Amino acid sequence: MKRMFFNNYKREKKEQMDLDITSLLDVLVILLVFLLKSYNASELKINLVKDLVVPKSEARILGNHAIIVQVDKDKKIYVNKEEVGFAYGAGQNNALLAKLNEMRADIDKDLTESKKDKKINLVFDEKLPYNVMKTVMHTSAMAGYTEFKFIVQGNY
Amino acid sequence: MRRKMKKTAKLNLIPILDAIFIFIFFLLMSAQFIDIYQIGSDAPITSTSTEKLDKKPLNLTLELNGEKVIVKTGLSEKVYKTVNYRDLASLNETLIELKKQHPSEDSAIIKPAHNFKYKRIVKVIDNTREITKPNVYITALDDQNKKFATKKLFDKIIFDTQD
Repeated sequence: MKRMFFNNYKREKKEQMDLDITSLLDVLVILLVFLLKSYNASELKINLVKDLVVPKSEARILGNHAIIVQVDKDKKIYVNKEEVGFAYGAGQNNALLAKLNEMRADIDKDLTESKKDKKINLVFDEKLPYNVMKTVMHTSAMAGYTEFKFIVQGNY
Repeated sequence: MRRKMKKTAKLNLIPILDAIFIFIFFLLMSAQFIDIYQIGSDAPITSTSTEKLDKKPLNLTLELNGEKVIVKTGLSEKVYKTVNYRDLASLNETLIELKKQHPSEDSAIIKPAHNFKYKRIVKVIDNTREITKPNVYITALDDQNKKFATKKLFDKIIFDTQD
């Protein structure tokens, strides 16, 4: 008799252990909506270097994959996150030119001149003066990258 | 009997939850929390041509110096208007006026001073490429000289890199 009572009690307890996942589902749906809203279809992914603030713009053209040159507020130049030197004054920057030529030789060695990629993504800190931009643009053009893509962030 | 039927009608949410978890994982992996866009600009190329042009080119040049934005036109770079940097709406108005006079032109040369900040250059480019006021459109000409309504002004930006 005693055993029967305990068996029935156990069964009842088991039935009550049903997990309510409604609240979990609510959280997941909210997270899903937030992630879908912030989803960017751009194929370009950039890991910004430290101390670099990208200016805001009204531009709405999505970025494309290409070599990324970043220049931070201290005028340090990075090519695909690898530091190559400083952007001094006017004229071409020899360290940047050497790096871009080396990369072009690696990537485009089997391509004809017309098929070589001319695009380059330029990420400048918003406080940089034009002479630094000019040096980087001039050097990129010297290395054969004549289509500059200035990377900016959406203005909302 | 009725109670039994009710119990079997319970929805199995486990596969839906699995799918949602995979979806969230994918979205989290591909998430970029800064919206990144690009502004295109080609390196200037000089060429000599012996062909006679039917129409004088606009040769729109924007000189950026200190607080001033000087709008110049023509091959002789005649000053069309000088605008204050703080009043970029006025620059946009000036460029709308020029675009109406030259609907087939789409390029602008930007000539900033050496110390002109990148943030300010981007602001000037924004006001050069498009009409900033909402619901304002102008008529432009396409390649086949057909008219169409657009917000685009001078969207081919060329930087002057001469010293």
